[in-house]
Amino acid sequence: MDTEKRDKLSELVEELTTSGEPTLNPAKMKEVKKICRISNHYIEHLYHLIMTQLDQEHAEIRLSAFHVVAELFSRSHHFRVLLVDNMQEFLDLTVETDTDQPLPPPKEVAQKLKRLAIHTVQSWHATYGEAYKKLALGYHFLKQVKKVDFQDVEARTLAERKRQEERHRRLQTLYKEKIEKAKAEMEETCVDIEESLTEIHNCMNLLLPDPLNFNMCNLEPGARSTGASLEPGASTSLEPGASTSLESGASTSLEPGASTSLEPGASTSLEPGGGSSSSGSEDGQPCCSQDLQKESEMVENKESNDSESESEEHPNENCFLRNSGIMSHKYSLELNISTDVNLQESEDNEALLNTVRDLHRLITTKHLPSVQSWIQVFTRAGGEEPLLKRSLDLKNSLEAALEKHTTLHISHRDRQRRVVRAEDSDEDFEEVPEKEGFEPHILDDLREEYGLEPLVSTSVSAVTQKPPRQLATKRVPVASSRTSRAKRKADEEEQDPTSAAATLRILKQSLPPTVTDSCVASGSSSSVTPTEVGEEKNAPVVPFGIDLYYWGKEQPTAGKIIKYSSTHQFWVPNEMEEEVVNEELSAQMKSRCITFAGRFQPVQHKCRAPLPNGALCERQDRLKCPFHGKIIPRDDLGRPAKREDAERLEKERMKRQEEQPDWRDPELMREIEAATGEDLGSSKTFGKGKKKGSKGKGKKKKKYPSLTDLKQSANTSRARLEKKVFNKSSMRRVTDVMNKMDTRKHDKFSNQFNYALK
Amino acid sequence: MLSFLTARRTGVDDPLRLRRAESTRRVLSLELNPDRDVDRIHGNGVNTIDIEVIDGRYMLSGGADGVIVIYDLENKNKKPQYTCKAVCTVGRSSRHVHKFSVETVQWYPHDTGMFISSSFDKTMKVWDTETLKPAEVFHFEGNVYCHHMSPVARKHTLIAVGTKEPKVQLCDLKSGSCIHVLQGHRGEVLSVKWSPRYEHILATASSDSTVRVWDVRRASGSLFTLDQHNGDKSKAASEAVNTAHNGRVNGLCFTADGLYLLTTGTDDRMRLWNSATGENTLVNYGKVANASRTCLRLTVSRGCSPEFVFVPCSSSVAVYSLHTGELVTMLRGHYNNVDCCQFHPDYQELYSGGKDCNILAWVPVLRQPDIEVEETATAKGEQQSAVNPVFVDAWSSDED
Repeated sequence: MDTEKRDKLSELVEELTTSGEPTLNPAKMKEVKKICRISNHYIEHLYHLIMTQLDQEHAEIRLSAFHVVAELFSRSHHFRVLLVDNMQEFLDLTVETDTDQPLPPPKEVAQKLKRLAIHTVQSWHATYGEAYKKLALGYHFLKQVKKVDFQDVEARTLAERKRQEERHRRLQTLYKEKIEKAKAEMEETCVDIEESLTEIHNCMNLLLPDPLNFNMCNLEPGARSTGASLEPGASTSLEPGASTSLESGASTSLEPGASTSLEPGASTSLEPGGGSSSSGSEDGQPCCSQDLQKESEMVENKESNDSESESEEHPNENCFLRNSGIMSHKYSLELNISTDVNLQESEDNEALLNTVRDLHRLITTKHLPSVQSWIQVFTRAGGEEPLLKRSLDLKNSLEAALEKHTTLHISHRDRQRRVVRAEDSDEDFEEVPEKEGFEPHILDDLREEYGLEPLVSTSVSAVTQKPPRQLATKRVPVASSRTSRAKRKADEEEQDPTSAAATLRILKQSLPPTVTDSCVASGSSSSVTPTEVGEEKNAPVVPFGIDLYYWGKEQPTAGKIIKYSSTHQFWVPNEMEEEVVNEELSAQMKSRCITFAGRFQPVQHKCRAPLPNGALCERQDRLKCPFHGKIIPRDDLGRPAKREDAERLEKERMKRQEEQPDWRDPELMREIEAATGEDLGSSKTFGKGKKKGSKGKGKKKKKYPSLTDLKQSANTSRARLEKKVFNKSSMRRVTDVMNKMDTRKHDKFSNQFNYALK
Repeated sequence: MLSFLTARRTGVDDPLRLRRAESTRRVLSLELNPDRDVDRIHGNGVNTIDIEVIDGRYMLSGGADGVIVIYDLENKNKKPQYTCKAVCTVGRSSRHVHKFSVETVQWYPHDTGMFISSSFDKTMKVWDTETLKPAEVFHFEGNVYCHHMSPVARKHTLIAVGTKEPKVQLCDLKSGSCIHVLQGHRGEVLSVKWSPRYEHILATASSDSTVRVWDVRRASGSLFTLDQHNGDKSKAASEAVNTAHNGRVNGLCFTADGLYLLTTGTDDRMRLWNSATGENTLVNYGKVANASRTCLRLTVSRGCSPEFVFVPCSSSVAVYSLHTGELVTMLRGHYNNVDCCQFHPDYQELYSGGKDCNILAWVPVLRQPDIEVEETATAKGEQQSAVNPVFVDAWSSDED
């Protein structure tokens, strides 16, 4: 046996098995075979080499070694004898016959190895089974004891198969149960669903027999006739299709007084989707446009009742005008009108609407979800075709009904609004809008969004919060706070000249404006003149404090400290008391701290530093990007626009490069330098050196760079954190702190029995 | 060989010498033979096998699933290729089958018409071979680990039974009842063996790491316990009782002549004792891997000039020379732990059963025709290829 050849063989085997590639290098394999052909001794040597490699804790090495084995097994009888003699170990290492010795990672390669090994053993058995008894035994062992199904592509063992079957069976029983349950449920509720379906269909048919034509023609004349006669505010919120009059109304209501009178509660709170009708002098316009949309919607709705309402409107409107005579006070008009009109309407179809509403709710909350869950169950479990079909049909019809309902929906809502206003009794009022998805209670924080004023309970509080508004609505004081329904109701009452509320309102109107002004001006201590209205609008609202309490007055005790020099019972010194004036303290009493936080302005610029993938950094930091440092103006390619920036960046880059070698282990560096004969320390060969350094980081990696690094998979964020958290020193620190805490507790409470027991 | 034959022919030698030499040679050349198969009947591990001594033809095997199978070992078709057929089976479908794992089976020493099996279902059954029905069933309080019937007894028909209880029970076949209890052990009795030399001598091994030797005629107690330190108290530490091993003792075997006793324990040791005095012969067998929880069946060759011990040793059968303790060879063929092995004294064959459900027959390799071997190597190659084409190397031509 030639030592040279022997060494060569070892080298070849090592190279072959640590290549990490899924297939063998044919040239090297050929060489191996050439050497093995010479003598059985080489085969023996090879066999031992291969068995060592098969024993490595790396699936890629094993796989490559297995490829070599497969190559030689078909060639050499001697190799076959050797291998078959040690078949147990071979199977352990490749097919994972011993559960205590699982195949090493990486997992995918191990799986591949196992599959390959099983198929190879099968083919070996087919060819050499009779001649090599142990091979046949091994095959039967796999087949009968390990219950490996050789036809199974997955090459799963019995246990795995069983586990899967078990899971499958469990799921099946679960589905079966679910199906049974759904079936029973279906039997039960099907009748209900169908009933409610017919009911809702009938209701809707009754509500909406054949709407198209007469709505359209009826609406137009009504609008035209009212357009001229009504006040603009009233027309905007109520009149359908009265576009021309609306425009005029908008133009007239541009004065601040009119605009504010448009906003509060009555008109705006009734528009659930209303967005933009906020404060300011331009309010009239958005308000109008909004109402316009609504009007057009109303036209589309083709409510049969509309025509009636229109015709009813005029007398009442006129009547109100006559009664009150207040022209600027438009929206209160509208309320009254709608009230009268819709009362009749609700009487007609109230029952129907209620039924529809109930059914709609029933369908959306109960029937549809349950039908959907049935469908889910049936589709997942499969097999229940008729049931599935039936539930699908149910779902479709339910959805159709809902669809139809949504077409009605808006009309419902509008009508509802009228009904709402029409209701005198509170309970109905409460119930109706909720069920239609209409929100009578708008949460305070949402009101802003809806373009509503914050809900205020008393006019005084409104004064403190929104002084300008109060001023503007001086003529109609109550209107400012009229946002809640109660208020609205009160308004309605006020409109009735016979009621007590109306009298009260007149009284309020006649009150001098200074009454409210004094409240407003508690901060500024000055009477409000009309010219200050604009300024007050911008005045900040501050919390009440001691400085406000003594505003404009001399503080008698500010900064004075009374010193009692002696507290002796009877031995009194000459000076009984001494007052010390502390300037600092008195200044504190008179001053106020106002934190100026500024206004948040979203960042408009981006970092735009070039990224490795060619894109530009999209981060929008204000001053500094965490990855690319200070944000500087850059051109389209991400290069710094200014010269000095570019220079600075370049300098920084150089500095980083120079720092780089310090990271590396100097000892290792020296080693590598010695091995390669290159100078890696200088920054010139920085890139190269780094590559080398990383390669040589792990000894194994350095040895077999092409293999998958098993340790790398452990380099997850979790692992890194673990390394930090669970390292010895930090653990010790934590325990120290905890111990200290414990002892402190003990010191403090040791005489208390429940701590003493510890 | 020739010299032995000549000596035999001329009458110089004792006829026994030739026989011994040949059987020794055969034992040494035991290997897994592709020509000899045993039917795969067991679907679970094979716990025990027993070959009858009357004409050495039938083999009993008991499996971990309660199945008992009787094999016919005799090759009648005059060909080397032979598969041992299962003659009859007490399978799972049988009404009388053991519910749990069968731990021990034994032929009735004097007739093949009867055999005894004991199992973890706490019963011992005496079977009629002909009908495969139990003639007698003994019930015990604990799992039955082992039983043994004296191969030489003429005066009694006692079966010694070792169970989970520390008491060794003696059941009499004549009365069909448990007639005697031997008390002394403090752990499960894992193995019992009658001496093949004296019909009243019984050895029992227990999980309390002691081995006791009894004379069943003496009711009071055991004759002696085996002491691994041979009475050297300094080594025995503070233990009050003599121990045979430092762990559970789960294997017992008398040599064929009954003069020596072999024990194996979970301390991975095997010890050889003088069965008359109980003295540890201190033969060093090295490490004998032994992780079995239950009884381990080792066996000793018969009729060889140095005798051999066959011990199941994880997934192989280790062959030791009895008196020198030298490891002769390892018979590797099972794919899982080997539980039992039985030596066939007539043909010097070894049968072994393991957890991989296989019963493997280890058959002596036939002697190569000497003269032909001396012919040229090429002739040999040709002859080999004539025998079996798969033995030929198949190097493809492009590898040159």
